[in-house]
Amino acid sequence: MRNTLLLAAIIATVTITAAACKSDIGPGFTNDKVTLGLFVSTSGDIATFGQDTKNGAELAVEEINKAGGISKHLIDLRFQDCASEPAQGGNAATKLITQDGVLIGMGEVASGISLAAAPIFQKYGVPMISPSSTNPTVTQQGDMIFRICYLDDFQGAACALFANQNLNCKTAAILMNQDDAYSTGLGKFFRFKFEKLGGKIVAEETFKKGASDFNTQLTNIKGKNPDVIFAPVYYQDIPLIAKQARGQGIDKPLLGGDGWESDDLLPKADGKLDNCYFANHYATADDAPIVANFVKAYNAKYGSNPTSLAALGYDVVYVAKKAIESAGGINEKLTRKAVADALRGLKDFEGVTGTFSIDKNRDARKPIQMLKIKDGKVLPDRRIRPEEVE
Amino acid sequence: MLAVNELLQQVANGLAKGSVYALIAVGYTMVYGVLELINFAHGEVFMLGAYFGYWPARWLGYMPDSGEKPQVPAPVALLLTFGAMAACALIGVLVERLAYRPLRNAGRLSALITAIGISVLMQNLALVVFHADSKDFPRMIDQQSVVLGPVELPNTKLLIIGVTALMMAGLFWMVRYTRTGAAMRACSHSMKTASLMGVNVNRIISLTFAIGSAMAAVAGVLISLDQPRLTPLMGLMPGLKAFVAAVLGGIGSIPGAVAGGILLGVVESVVGGVAGTTYSEAVAFVLLILILLVRPSGLFGKSGREKV
Repeated sequence: MRNTLLLAAIIATVTITAAACKSDIGPGFTNDKVTLGLFVSTSGDIATFGQDTKNGAELAVEEINKAGGISKHLIDLRFQDCASEPAQGGNAATKLITQDGVLIGMGEVASGISLAAAPIFQKYGVPMISPSSTNPTVTQQGDMIFRICYLDDFQGAACALFANQNLNCKTAAILMNQDDAYSTGLGKFFRFKFEKLGGKIVAEETFKKGASDFNTQLTNIKGKNPDVIFAPVYYQDIPLIAKQARGQGIDKPLLGGDGWESDDLLPKADGKLDNCYFANHYATADDAPIVANFVKAYNAKYGSNPTSLAALGYDVVYVAKKAIESAGGINEKLTRKAVADALRGLKDFEGVTGTFSIDKNRDARKPIQMLKIKDGKVLPDRRIRPEEVE
Repeated sequence: MLAVNELLQQVANGLAKGSVYALIAVGYTMVYGVLELINFAHGEVFMLGAYFGYWPARWLGYMPDSGEKPQVPAPVALLLTFGAMAACALIGVLVERLAYRPLRNAGRLSALITAIGISVLMQNLALVVFHADSKDFPRMIDQQSVVLGPVELPNTKLLIIGVTALMMAGLFWMVRYTRTGAAMRACSHSMKTASLMGVNVNRIISLTFAIGSAMAAVAGVLISLDQPRLTPLMGLMPGLKAFVAAVLGGIGSIPGAVAGGILLGVVESVVGGVAGTTYSEAVAFVLLILILLVRPSGLFGKSGREKV
């Protein structure tokens, strides 16, 4: 009898606790505060990406709170480190939802980690906005998952358009990292668009992750004499590629994607990247007031120029604010579903990384910024809108 | 089909690549010649050579945290290289003293496993001390392309080929025409007899490690001039390739190591040009197997002499 009672008590406790965990995650705001969650990696391999994003997001929160918060509620930003591991991303999502009861979750940079977190946000019905995951499948995890950066297919196509129209290239070579889906993906989308525009890909060369010697590939490319070399690689690789290309007497421009962006890019290139171009989310040297103000405030707070990831981290907080306000502001009627509906209808949001809307796939439809490297400076070149490449 | 110019260019690329393999391979082959030990930590000495060129340059202000790097004056660059050679020589000697000497009379397997252990230890120590992120190398030479008939090479690559040729000539002379060289050859022939003839065997072994390690340090600095990306694991693949080069040429033979290194570098480059870089390593290793099938002791190896 006593045993049965004990068992019943245990079952009851477990059921109640489980029920509490499952459904009662609170509304996400109190009388004077609104809780937002941020999950990026500030330790591990991609710690710099996460730290930049966090810096940008914290700057935005500081600005908003100084100006009175979101409909008179101050933002209470809760942070979880994903430690560059997808499994930690899942834990971070669960903690933010069940312990902190966030209204909206913002993160991650790496698509692999966003993919681990997204199903959890979807299950609890909490909107998640990724600032910078470019893999198409991230937002396919459910109708509560959003992103505010462009996708790799658009980036590759925009580079092809730029090569064709602005650099007047008829032929191109592609040099990519065969072990990296980002690199091969951009290469594929570039080829597709460049050929559609009437251009010819005369050489396609690959290298292995961690390679430092690109001479064999570059000699093959040189023999085909292309007008431009598209190299969708990361910033560690491109200075070596540029030096070795110039060393072999290849004087054609190199063209790349947002992987080139880094404070280290120009110091490492020793001037060999002059007259080369890459695509990015925004230009630090842009003179639009919203960009200039952001760059100034970021420099004052952190003492360095904001990267694209910092700019996207900054924008994602303002997107969350805009969505809450469009959903009717913070009052007892505000639900997470209403916030998600507002995100789905987001139009012409003006951010540091351009003016954008959320499309039917819950992805951002936004322009891409082409940049030119000239005399040791990165200068804004053409902006390409999505409709131009379609 | 490849044009002749392109083929020549790939051969030139391969000469530079092979020179670096040769410089490292010499260290493998010298140690094997004397001790019959495959010093697997040798690739890590190459890595340390690059870092020993980098750190003093950083302290001297040639690696600012931001902005353009200043040109390192030639005398300073030379001093930095000598410093890296000395530091690596010391490390090579220390490794022999602390790890290999206590095991000299133990089985060959014990020494081999110890060598692998030292290699892993040095990689991980480097990860702790130098961190995993890649480092740039100071500007010791202003990179420019030089046209030589049908091929165009950066001056850094010409420097690699030139310095390697010079060092190999020096080493060859030392081994052939000096008393120390004669002692070294005697030790390689029979350590016991050499010691009976009054050769200080321990000193010769230390010297062998010192010279091999200094050569690896030069390789580390040279490769960083051309491919300035320093990582704690940068010694792994070149170390392995150099080992293959040493076996290809006949391990224990210095001219063999040089020939093996150059051959491997050129084959990798040319195959990469003809069939694509995906196949270059595979073909290089198939070549190794074929050569060893025909000549089991390598290109320059002496067959039939088996020490116990």
